[in-house]
Amino acid sequence: MSATRTSALTRLEGLLGTEHLLTNPTQLAGYEVDGLRPAAVAQPGSAGEVAEVVRFAAAEKLAVIPVGGRTKLRIGAAPRRYDLATDLTRLDGVLAYDPGDLTLGVQAGIRFAELSRVLAEKRQFLPLAPAFAEQATIGGILATNSGSPLRHAYGSARDYVLGMEFVTGEGIETKSGGRVVKNVTGYDLHKLMIGALGTLGVITRVNFKTFPLPHAQTTFVGSFDSAAQALGMCRAIAQSALQPRLVDVLDPAAAQMIDPAHARLPAGQWSVVVGAAGDERVVQRHGIDLARITKGARATAFVALTDEEEATLLGRIREFPKLAAGTSPAATLFKISVVLAQMLALLERARQVIQRNQLASMTLLRASGIVYLALVPTALDAATLARLTQAATELIHASSNSEIGGRPVIEWCPTELKSQVNVWGPARDDLMLMQRVKKAFDPQGIFSPGRFVGGI
Amino acid sequence: MDKKLVRELEQALGKDAVLWKTEDLMLYEYDGSVEQARPEYVVFPRSTRDVVQIMLLANRFQVPLVGRGAGTGLSGGALARHGGILLVFSRMNRILELDFENQRAVVQPGVVNLDLTRAVEHAGLYFAPDPSSQKACTIGGNVAENAGGPHTLAYGVTANHVTGLELVLPEGDVVRIGGKVTDSPGYDLTGLLVGSEGTLAIVTEVTVKLTRLPEAVKTLLAVYDAVDDATETVAEMTARGITPAACEMLDGWMLRAVEDFVHAGFPTDSAAVLLIEVEGLREGVEAQADEISEVCRLHHAREVRVARDARERDLLWKGRKNAFGAIGRLSPTYYVQDGVIPRTKLPATLRRIDEIGKTYGFRIGNIFHAGDGNLHPIILFDARDKEQFDRAVAASNEIMKFCVEMGGALTGEHGVGMEKNELMPLMFSEADLNLMRRVRDCFNPAGLLNPGKILPLGKGCGEIRARPLPVSATSRA
Repeated sequence: MSATRTSALTRLEGLLGTEHLLTNPTQLAGYEVDGLRPAAVAQPGSAGEVAEVVRFAAAEKLAVIPVGGRTKLRIGAAPRRYDLATDLTRLDGVLAYDPGDLTLGVQAGIRFAELSRVLAEKRQFLPLAPAFAEQATIGGILATNSGSPLRHAYGSARDYVLGMEFVTGEGIETKSGGRVVKNVTGYDLHKLMIGALGTLGVITRVNFKTFPLPHAQTTFVGSFDSAAQALGMCRAIAQSALQPRLVDVLDPAAAQMIDPAHARLPAGQWSVVVGAAGDERVVQRHGIDLARITKGARATAFVALTDEEEATLLGRIREFPKLAAGTSPAATLFKISVVLAQMLALLERARQVIQRNQLASMTLLRASGIVYLALVPTALDAATLARLTQAATELIHASSNSEIGGRPVIEWCPTELKSQVNVWGPARDDLMLMQRVKKAFDPQGIFSPGRFVGGI
Repeated sequence: MDKKLVRELEQALGKDAVLWKTEDLMLYEYDGSVEQARPEYVVFPRSTRDVVQIMLLANRFQVPLVGRGAGTGLSGGALARHGGILLVFSRMNRILELDFENQRAVVQPGVVNLDLTRAVEHAGLYFAPDPSSQKACTIGGNVAENAGGPHTLAYGVTANHVTGLELVLPEGDVVRIGGKVTDSPGYDLTGLLVGSEGTLAIVTEVTVKLTRLPEAVKTLLAVYDAVDDATETVAEMTARGITPAACEMLDGWMLRAVEDFVHAGFPTDSAAVLLIEVEGLREGVEAQADEISEVCRLHHAREVRVARDARERDLLWKGRKNAFGAIGRLSPTYYVQDGVIPRTKLPATLRRIDEIGKTYGFRIGNIFHAGDGNLHPIILFDARDKEQFDRAVAASNEIMKFCVEMGGALTGEHGVGMEKNELMPLMFSEADLNLMRRVRDCFNPAGLLNPGKILPLGKGCGEIRARPLPVSATSRA
C-alpha cells in the first residue's frame, strides 16, 4: 500500500475509531483470502458506517471483501486484488421480530447460532441449518447460499428471505423486497444477493419468514449395500405421500467420517437418513411407511434414532462441508446441483474419475438435488496436486455434460488448485447478463474482484 | 400505425398472425384491471424464432413491445401503455416436456395454468400456484406477475416453483437461465426475472416444479358474527404456527353478494366467514383441523362446518373464486385492491378500511387471503362518473398508504404494472428505485419492453399521474 493510501487509512480510522480499524499484521492474517492479506480491516458499527467505508473505498479505488464469521473465505476464485476487509460482525442485532406474524429482521453480522437461540425462545427457527453454525453469520450464509439439509421441505434461502438492505459499490444504502410474507412490489434484487459472494453489495439487513418448531420429530436411517438401492429408496419416498424434512444419503466413506464408531451408520453401507417432523401422528406414520419402503428397497437395516442420537447425527451431517474440508489441507469439495434421476449416473462417472486418479473421496447426496463430493488426498504435494487437478477437471466435465446436466462448483479447495481449474465450472450464455448486473450494482468493480463466476 | 411495419410483421409471421385494424385492436386494450391502453399491432408468434423476429422488428422500428398471456392481469401489466406491438402467446401453448421422475415440466408461456395441472394429475402431481383466474390465465403471465393464489400460503408464489427460463432479449439474443436443477452458479437471474412484469425480457419457455398431490384434504368454514373475531382467529392461528394450505376470509357483505349468485352455502346472516383448507397426510390433516376448530371456537365462531365431500368443498371454492363475477352484477365498475400487511395487524387494518370507506362514501367489501395478510378490498363505483372514479382511486391510495405504514407492501400478487408505479415511492427511496432502473437497463436499455410499468414515470417523488378513465371491469383475483 502506497503512502497516500496509508494517509487515507488514517481518515478511515477517524471515521470508525482506532479500535475498529485493524492494521496489525497478526490481526490481518485472520482475514487472508487465498494467500492475499488486506492492508486493513474496517469494523463498521452501523449500516451508515458500512456505506461510509464503501464510499471511502470507492473514492480510493480499494478492493473490498465483505466478511462475517470468516468460515467460507475459501469459496470462489482467488481475488485479483484485496485491500480492505469489511467485517460485519459488529452488526449483530435483531432489529424486528414479530413472532405472531412469523417474520424477523436482523442485521447481517448476527451469528446463526445466536439467532437460533433467540428464535428457539419463541419455539421458532430458520431452516438454514448451515455448516460452521457456531461462527457463520447470516450475511455470509446468504452470500454463499450455504446448503441446508432442511431444504428438502423448506426450500432454499430464496424461498424465505423476504427482503434485504444492502450497500452498493458506490456506497449507497439500498433495499428491495419488504417485511411481509407475500410481496411482489418491485424487482426482487435481494434474490440476486443470495449466492453473489458479496460481489454486488454488502448486505446489512435481512428480513426472513420464520417457521414454528415442530411438535415432534424423529430421524430414521435405512442402510443399503449399494448406491442404486439407496437412491431407489429416495425415489420411492419422492413418489409417496410422505413429506419428510430431510432426505440425505451418505456413502460408506462419509458415514465413516460422520459416525466413526458406527453407532447408527453401519460400516461399509450406504446410509439414507430421513427426518420426519410435525404432529406425533404424522411422525409415527412416517415411521410405518418408511419401514415398508426400505424393506421394498432391500435395506439391510432400518432404525429410528433416539433424540440424543438424532441431535448428534444431524449436527454432524449439517457440518459435513466443514468436517470434510478439515480432513486434509488438500481437501477439495464439490457441490453439484443435479436432478435426482441423474444422481446414480453421476456417481458412476465420479467413481471412475476418482479411481483413475487414485484419490480418496466422500459423498453426501441430498434428494432435493445436491451432491457434495469431497476429494480427500492425505497430503498436498506436487504429485497430489497434479492428480487433483486432473480429477477436478474431469469431474467438472463429467457432471456438466449434456447427459448428466449438472452444475458443478468447487466450494472448498487449496488455493494452488484455483489457478489450474475454474472453481465455478463451465461458463454459460447468461454470463453476459451477469456482467451487466454486476456493473449496475458495482460500476467500479471494487467488491471482491475476480472471485465470482466468469472473473466477475 | 406504420404500414411498413405491418407488412414486415406479416412477412415474418404470416397474415393470420398480425392484427392492426382499429376494431381488432380494441379487443386488446384492456385486461382485468381498471386500466386501458390500445396497442398499434397485435401479433401471435408460434415459436421462439417468431419472437426473435418480432423483437428485431420492434428494435428496428423503435416501437414498444409488450408480452401478454390471457389478459386476466389486475394491474395493467399486459397493456400496451405507450402503444407499439402487443405480443400475445395464445399460439405458444404447448407443454414441451413432462419429467415425472424429477417433478418438472417445460412449457411454452401460453399454456393455461390449469391445463398443466390437468396434464400431470394422472401421475399424482400438480402445478401449485393457483390464481383465481387459473382456468384462463397462462403460465407466462404467472411468471411475469409472480402470481399467487389461495394456496400460496403453504406452497409459495410462482417464483418458488420456477427453476429455469428461456429469454429473448431486446437485441434478439436467446438466453437460457437456470434449468431443471435448483442451483446454478452465478446470480439468480431466474429469481429476478420472475415478477419483472415483462420489463426485462420476453420469456419464451418456462421450467417449473410439479408438486405431489396431497393424500388428504379437509375444508372448513368458520362462521362469525363479528369481523374482529375472524381476524383475531387468523392472527392466533399464525402465532400458534398453524399453517393451513389456504385461509381465506369473506366479510358479510361480500358473502351475501356471492351467495346470491353462486349458492355456495355461505350463511348470509353472518358478519364474516373463514374458508380454511388443510392438506397433507391423513393424520396431519386430522390434527390440524382439530386445532383450527379449537382456535375458531376460542374466538367465538358461531359454527365450524367441515365440507363432507368433494362436491361440498368445490362449491365453497366456487364461491370464493367466482366472487368478483358476483360483484359484477351489483355495480357497473369495481376496483379490486391488493395490499399486504403483517398478520398481527389484520384486525386494526380491516377497521381502518371500514373507516376509509365511510370517509369517502363507499361500501368497501373484503375478500382476501387472510392467512398471509394479503388484502383485496373491493370498491364499487360508477366509472361513468368522473368524480366517483377519482374518489375511488383516492380511497384506494389511502388504504395502500395504511398498509405500507403497518410495515406492509403495495402488492402481494397482482403486480405494480401501471396501476401502482407512481405509488412506489411509498415503499422505496429514490436510491432504491434508481438501482431498479439500472437493473432494468441491463436487460432493456432502450426501454422498449413494456414501458411505463413498475417504476414511477414522474420526476418528483410520489407525484400521482392523471389516470385514464377505466372501462367496465369484469375481473377476478
